[in-house]
Formats: sequence, structure tokens, C-alpha cells
Amino acid sequence: MTQYEKVSPELIEALKAAVPGRVSVNGDINEDFSHDEMPIYGKAMPEVVVEATSTEEVAAVMKLCNEHHVPVTPRGAGTGLTGGAVAIHGGVVLSTTKMNKILGYDTENMVVRVQAGVLLNDLAEDAAKQGFLYPPDPGEKFATLGGNVSTNAGGMRAVKYGTTRDYVRAMTVVLPTGEIIHLGASVSKTSSGYSLLNLMIGSEGTLGVITELTLKIIPAPKEVISLVVLYENLEDCIATVPKLMRSGFQPQALEFMEREIVRLSEAYLGKSTFPQQFEGTEINAYLLVTFDGDNEDQLADVIEQASEIVLEAGALDVLVADTPQLKKDAWAARSSFLEAIEANTKLLDESDVVVPVNQIASYVTFIKEIAKDYDFEVKSFGHAGDGNLHIYNCSNDMAQEEFERQVADFMKRAYAKATELGGQISGEHGIGHGKLDYLAQMVGPVNMRLMEGIKHVFDPNMILNPGKVCYKL
Amino acid sequence: MEILVCLKQVPDDSVEIHLKPGTEEVNLDGVDSVVNAFDTYALEMAARLKEAVGGSITAITIGPEKARDAVKTCLAVGANQGYLISDPAFEAADTLGKSRILAAAVRHLEAEAGKPFDLIFCGREATDRATGQVGPQLAEALGVGLITDLVDIEQTGAGICAKQETESGYRRVEAATPCVVTVNKPAYDPRYPTIKSKLAARKMPIPVLSAAELDNVDPGRPGSHVVRVYEPAKRQAGVKIKEETCEESVLKAVAMMADAKVL
Repeated sequence: MTQYEKVSPELIEALKAAVPGRVSVNGDINEDFSHDEMPIYGKAMPEVVVEATSTEEVAAVMKLCNEHHVPVTPRGAGTGLTGGAVAIHGGVVLSTTKMNKILGYDTENMVVRVQAGVLLNDLAEDAAKQGFLYPPDPGEKFATLGGNVSTNAGGMRAVKYGTTRDYVRAMTVVLPTGEIIHLGASVSKTSSGYSLLNLMIGSEGTLGVITELTLKIIPAPKEVISLVVLYENLEDCIATVPKLMRSGFQPQALEFMEREIVRLSEAYLGKSTFPQQFEGTEINAYLLVTFDGDNEDQLADVIEQASEIVLEAGALDVLVADTPQLKKDAWAARSSFLEAIEANTKLLDESDVVVPVNQIASYVTFIKEIAKDYDFEVKSFGHAGDGNLHIYNCSNDMAQEEFERQVADFMKRAYAKATELGGQISGEHGIGHGKLDYLAQMVGPVNMRLMEGIKHVFDPNMILNPGKVCYKL
Repeated sequence: MEILVCLKQVPDDSVEIHLKPGTEEVNLDGVDSVVNAFDTYALEMAARLKEAVGGSITAITIGPEKARDAVKTCLAVGANQGYLISDPAFEAADTLGKSRILAAAVRHLEAEAGKPFDLIFCGREATDRATGQVGPQLAEALGVGLITDLVDIEQTGAGICAKQETESGYRRVEAATPCVVTVNKPAYDPRYPTIKSKLAARKMPIPVLSAAELDNVDPGRPGSHVVRVYEPAKRQAGVKIKEETCEESVLKAVAMMADAKVL
């Protein structure tokens, strides 16, 4: 078993010399650095926080910590949901948030170069101003792009455009030894050895520290329209999804939402957006669908035909969000689910399973059924178009120990069912340390051995983000 | 009840807009056009009134051909018919000129339908120039009453009863019809169009009223002229106080004010 050293006064001085003015120690460290957005997996204060501003500074920090055998936890904006950026073995937290420059666009090759600490929201807005779209669209807009790449974040538009992985062309990485490497290139195809680039994507800061990214952008679609589809029950709502997907209209986003969570989100935002009744019938489920295109008439035809499909499949009605304000309101309600749950819940855990699209209905039915066996509430919503479901366990009155015991039992059954249906335990949030044991159960000892072996090759002293994904002390 | 809703197409007000550097020209490159938010509130209020008491809503706008989209948008959320008032002779008109053109359109549409409008709705102001002048000027041009800043309305035996927002609260105002009302943000939001209403609106004709249809109305001499166009000075961002509890936030605010010697 690996034994780590404590951060010594000599190391602190050396870090201060390498990253002047941006090293915080013990009492000076902001409490925010002790957790991510899922504190149920435990808080841990690092001994030192270093806020780097360049690849060279990151390299210097890694080299020093590797020599001193001190663990390093890379951290973006801390918006993760599995404890991936929490320094559970102490040592140094290496924050990338001050590496927040958009370095430039190459409009001929349709790529943008950014530092890893640029926030998704900042890139999305900047690209939009120039007529481009960076398609990955995770709900958390204030995550860093480095964090997005580290978890292969997905988001709403994954249905049509794929996940973050599909938009990473190249990156600069600092290895745990302090060596700087460049992976990938601004090319659209490659057959040049093992794809270390793809190995880095989704590795959750366990193989190297991403400091710079070259990301693919596309011309922004000229027209975007969202539909809010109203249903009397969730079964009809989810049963529509494969029919819509088969239609060939390629929705950009396709989300399902139940009544309770929509009301919770509306109360949180202080704004009622979605209707609660349709001609006397109570609405219990909604689909939020977005289509895009370059031609207004063509898109109008698409939404007409898509509406026919959903109405035939049992929808009560279809509302059209076609103005900036209506679109903003509809998506604000959807994007605030997690914040609304967090604001109303004392004890919270979540899972992020992904199942084949045709299994969503049976999986959701299963979850609703087993939820009855527990004292916590289960709230679920998700990306209906790609089978990725976010399931939240919420309690305001249980003792934490009992909550954790019951959640562990729930998760075990939920993940087993997802695996049985041909799914995976995480669609986009990652493993961190919160889901490590579940990953081991799902993929088995051989796969875990391979992953740990890969980690050893990148990180001989096992100092980078220990305890995460595959390597448990 | 016969209702007319006057609307204006404006640049998307969720986008920060600037002048072209070194000019007094507003840079609207890449900015979508939308229906003025206050006009969408006016239409929603009118649609709710129509649903309560029956009747018909006509939507009109003055603008270039692309303003037809604004009328089409309204046909999907409550308006029964719509007209685009468009003529090169109207392009330079200021708010006073526009209110004269609108008054001529009102007379034309009333003559064509053979019945008068009972109520004419306008937004309290447009989000682009925010003069708030067209509603009052239109009431004057038509010689009818005016109630501004409505946040609710209902029909009474003799006319309407309106809830008017004032600087210090609300006032209930009764008025005989016909009259002009201007609308502020009510407690509710404009509805979403349904796919059926959207498709129906797409197929509805939107006739153009040019100067010829409006008895060659003369927008007349401008009532105003623009002296200078400039960007307002940027205000410094305020201090956000966000402690764990409300009490802690208040204590911190008080301490900060005490430190600044304003208490």
C-alpha cells in the first residue's frame, strides 16, 4: 500500500517559489476546497491549495510533489458529483480555475484553443458571439472545460451532437512526473498509435493534469425551436421517445421531466412556466425537445411532423417555445433541477446510470417500484434521448447513517438492474471515489486490473488523485 | 369585445447591445428581432379578457416586411387577425407620427369591419427606445380615454375596471369604452403557442396596410428630434452579501454600512 508524505515546510516554500502568491496553506484555505457538489461522500481539507496559471507552473508543482511523494488532486470549479476533485488523502489541491483564457479560434479548421480552467459558460457565450456553437451542453454551465473533459461530460445536446469526447481534438497534459506532453492534433481523423488523447478523456484527473485544450466548434444552427410536450402519465411520455428517435428528425435535446420536480424547480425559480392542466386533465409528465436547423420553413415542417408523432402516441398537447424568452424560460426550469433539489434537501445522493434508449421505460418503472422500500424520496429526470437518467435520493428527516445505509442498498439494486439491461453505471458524472466500488462490481476484476495498470504507467508513484476511479489505497 | 393590440418589433432585449465604435449607430448585427416584451404582456392580458367575455383581437404593427413575423407570432397566442402597416413614407416617423398612423389604421379597420374597437392595448413602452409615448399619443389622436400601467383588467357594465400600478402601489380605475390602455408586467407570463395555433398562424394571411389604404395619412411634423445617441456610463457592480443565514447577511450588511459611516 502506498504511504504518502505530509506536506513539509520545505515543500511549501518550494511551491511558493514555483507559483508565487497563489499558494494557500491550512487555515488560509477556503472551505469550498474540501468538497464538491455531492458532500455526502465526505469532506476533506487539503493541506495546500495551489492556483496555477500556466502549464509550466503545473509542471513545476507536479515535479515537486512527485519528488516529495505528496498526493495531488487536480480541481476545476468543484462542480463534480462523485467526489473526484476532493483530496481524500490530503496533500495538494491543484486548482485550474485561474487558467481561464480563451487562447484563440482557428476558423479554418473550426477549432478553439482554451486553457483548461475556462468555464463552459464563458466559451459557449464567446463562441455564440462569433456565430459558432460548442455543442457539449452539461446542465452545470459553470464547470471548467478541463473538468468537462476529465469526466467526458455529456449534457442536453448529446442526443444529436455527442458528448465532450467528440469535441476534443488535442490537449496539453502535465504528467504526474512533471513531464509535459501534447496529445492529438487539429485533424478530423487519425490512425496513429494508441489514442492517449481518448485515454485522458474521462480519466478524472488520475492520469495527468490537462492544462490546455483544442476543441472542435461548429457553425451555430440558424434556427432553434423547443417543444414542451404534455402528458397525463410518465409511461406515455417515455414510450414516445423511441418513436421520436426513429423518426429521423434528430432532436438536439430530448429531456423527460415529472410533475413533482418541475413544480420544485418552478418554486425555486419563483416562476411558473409549464402548464399544470390541459382541458381539465392533470399533467404528470413533460418532454422537452429541441430541434435545430438552418431554414425556418424546414424546421417548421419538422416540428409539425414531430408533433404529429407525439400526439398520436398519446401526448395531450404540444407547446412551442420559439422566441428567445420562451426558450429561456423552458430551459431555465429544466436546468435548475439540481439546484432546486439541493436547496430543498438536507441529505442527498445521486446516481447517473445510462441504459439503452429502449429500456428507459422499464428502468424508470423498476426505480419507482424499489423506491417504495426506502424511507428517502426518489426524484428522477434525465436525458430521455440517450438513456441517461439522473436519480436523486433525498431526505430531510433521516439520520445520516441510516440514510447512507439505505442508499447503499438502493444503489446496489439500481446499478445491478442497469447492468442487467445493458447499461452502465455513469453516463456523464464519472466515478470519483463515490462510485468506485460500484464500478468494480460492474466491470469485474480484470478490467479493474487493466485500468490500475494503466494508471501505474502514467503515475509510477501513484500520487495523482489517489483513491479515484480504479485505484483504491 | 372588439380589441386591438398595437405591437412593435424590437431587438432581442436579452442581448447586450452597443453602438458601432465611433458612431451613433446602434450595432444590431446578429441580434434577433422579437415582439416587445410589454406588447406580449398586453396581448396576453387581452387574450385572457377575450376568453372571459368573448370577442375578437386584432394585432397591428408598423414596420418593414420582416415585422410580419411579429404579427405572425401574435396570431399563435390569441390574436384572431393581424395587419402589417408598412410604407416607405412611414419610415422616418417618430412616436407622434406613428401614433397618427396607428389612429388612421384604427379608423380604417373600424370602417372596414363596420364596428368600433372597444379597447386598444399597447405595451407601456418598447424595450428598445423606452419612450412610453405611443399609447398616450394614440389616445389623444383618437380622442378617447387612457389608462396607463395596467397589471389587470376586467369588464364592467359600463366599460372596464383596471388595476393600475403606481409608484406607491396599485389603484383601481374605471373607464368607459372605447379607450386606450397601456400594460405593465402582470402577475402572469405570456402563454406558449400550441403546435395547432402555431401552424394555423403560419397559414393565416397578414394583409399590408400602406399609406394608400390609410387615406394617405401624413405622419406630420416630428414631435421630437434626437440630439445625441450615446451609451450610458457603466455602473460599478454592487457588493453581494450571501451568508449562510438571512440573519448573518443582515448583520454583515449593517456592519458594512457602519464601517462606511453611512449609518
